Amino acid sequence: MKTLRLLALCAAGLMWAMATVASAETVKVGVIATFSGPFARWGEQFQQAIKVYQKQHGESVNGNTIEVVYRDDGGPDPARAKQLAEELILREKVQFLGGFVFTPNALSVADIVTEAKMPTVIFNASTAIVVRKSPYFVRVSQTIPQVTVEIAKWAAKNDFKRIITAVTDYAPGYDAETYFVKTFKAGGGEILESIRIPLATTDFSPFYERVLQQKPDALFIFGPGGPPTVGMINTWASRLKPAGIKLLGTAETQEIDLPKVGPAALGVVTAFHYTETVDNPLNKTLWADLTTMFGKNTVPDLSSVAAYDGMELIYRAVAKFGPRPTGDQAIGFWRGMAFDSPRGPIKIDEKTRDIIQNVYLRKVEERDGKLVNINFETIPMVRDPWKDEHPG
Amino acid sequence: MLDVTILLDGLAYGMVLFIISVGLTVTMGLMRIVNLAHGAFAMIGGYFATMLLGAGLPFFAAALLAAVAVGIVGAAVELTIYRPLYRKGELAQALMTFGLTFVVIAALTTVFGTGIKPLPIPPALNGVIDIGFRTYPTYRLFLVAVGLVLALLLWLLIDRTSFGARLRAAVDNPRMARAVGIDVNLLFTVTFAGGCALAAFGSVIGAALLPLEPYYALRYLVLFLVIVGVGGIGNFKGSFVAAILLGIIDTGGKFLLPQASAYLFYGAVIILLLLCPHGLLPAKSAA
Repeated sequence: MKTLRLLALCAAGLMWAMATVASAETVKVGVIATFSGPFARWGEQFQQAIKVYQKQHGESVNGNTIEVVYRDDGGPDPARAKQLAEELILREKVQFLGGFVFTPNALSVADIVTEAKMPTVIFNASTAIVVRKSPYFVRVSQTIPQVTVEIAKWAAKNDFKRIITAVTDYAPGYDAETYFVKTFKAGGGEILESIRIPLATTDFSPFYERVLQQKPDALFIFGPGGPPTVGMINTWASRLKPAGIKLLGTAETQEIDLPKVGPAALGVVTAFHYTETVDNPLNKTLWADLTTMFGKNTVPDLSSVAAYDGMELIYRAVAKFGPRPTGDQAIGFWRGMAFDSPRGPIKIDEKTRDIIQNVYLRKVEERDGKLVNINFETIPMVRDPWKDEHPG
Repeated sequence: MLDVTILLDGLAYGMVLFIISVGLTVTMGLMRIVNLAHGAFAMIGGYFATMLLGAGLPFFAAALLAAVAVGIVGAAVELTIYRPLYRKGELAQALMTFGLTFVVIAALTTVFGTGIKPLPIPPALNGVIDIGFRTYPTYRLFLVAVGLVLALLLWLLIDRTSFGARLRAAVDNPRMARAVGIDVNLLFTVTFAGGCALAAFGSVIGAALLPLEPYYALRYLVLFLVIVGVGGIGNFKGSFVAAILLGIIDTGGKFLLPQASAYLFYGAVIILLLLCPHGLLPAKSAA
């Protein structure tokens, strides 16, 4: 009898031990982003920020190891992104998906994500409509109207009367043009012309000669990032700045690009949701850890904070529900969640699952021999205007 | 007066295209090789120059040294990789040189990263000059001047020296040139190296118009090939005319019809090639 009781006790103990072992599982997070080709910097910035997050918060939550599995979509390639999402869900059995630099790639996985009820955090893909496409999407980046509207309002308030817009000739450029023109006109300003510049343009001087001829107070630009954006700012500095025409923009003056633009960028005014110099303890530790782990020239940018905040959402969901939360649990938990990000306070909108955040008005200045963006005004907790105008 | 500005802008742009692609027209005309790696050589020169500038060399020294270095690399590559390709078909040549381009892109990405690499123009060129009716960026006038000087030097070299005479003979009829005792192999190597050096030089001084990044070699390859095709393969004067004409058409189109400018350039190319399928000034052998 005694032996039997002992055995039973042992068995119970063993089962308890097994149960604890079973609950300490590996949680796989699949990140689909661009790690090769001309846009490889996105993937690199995501990965570095994720590594910093895991260094700061540990690689496990309540004993559950968080393992990030990276997949390279190589650029705007919806078919490839879809195939990678299938592979991560079916074969790797990930619990969460993250990443997505380009809108078409995010759109292409919407159906699979919905079918698999896979909680998915969009790190970039900033076309307004993206989160509508699956009830299991949340977004931690920004939308183009969100930041564009604020620079247009600022221009209208600050005695700019006549402006020309010049945007790159592709969908995000049209978004920027539409919202800038609409907001600036509503503020009483006049748009002299809206120029669309072909994506492959390398020499911007003829477009700018056209601008110079009309003598506006300012030029609003929207560039695709990388070399063309650098050209847009440099040509402004050599042709329009001497004539007193100001330059307004959104993402064009990120600090990661500023050394490539050089002193030409001084005086450019932009509105954006993340400024690298923002005075915020989380931002300071993010930057400090990035430089100690990846070299002194590493600079956080919009992709770093997005990946960092995406990990925060995932860690919180695992802390709350354990290693195997359902899609509905995670998304329900994330709706309305507010927390501090390196960029400032952010909130996942309860209804739209999109991000609500501060938008900063900044000016490029020189500090300690380096070009940086300096915030001079904060517009708190801006929602995506597109969704408010298109409820549905 | 505005037309003059646009004309100058177009000229400056055309000159950069000319300097980079003139080497390509000679190698394609002379060696009859489909050289899709030409942009890669230009790009190597640009990246090398950024290293030299970083080491404190002045801009012009860096540009010249980069040209010389790429010329030497070009000669080495010609002797080892291109020579066995001459007798292979065009498909083998296209595949090999395209592959070479990818190797260069991957290598430069590994060393320099994926972003754009700034190649600052010297302060002396960074200002503006009063050209009578308005101020104009000094840098662009400098590009026009350099392009004109180089075109003149090339014309003297090709039309007025015995080296040029041998080169023209080899382009027109390589077998006959060999028969009269011209060392065509040596001509190939020297010309190839020279073309690469010019491409490198052009990519350095034109970096403000065609910014340096690892995909430079592919992004602008079409432009270079268009200049060669429209100008007439093997004819450097044709390249000069084509580069300036297309530079001005492209620039003028962006100014006058910004919305249509993406199509205007290629529209002009299609019309020019329909009118002169062998290029504006075809080499005798290609006609």
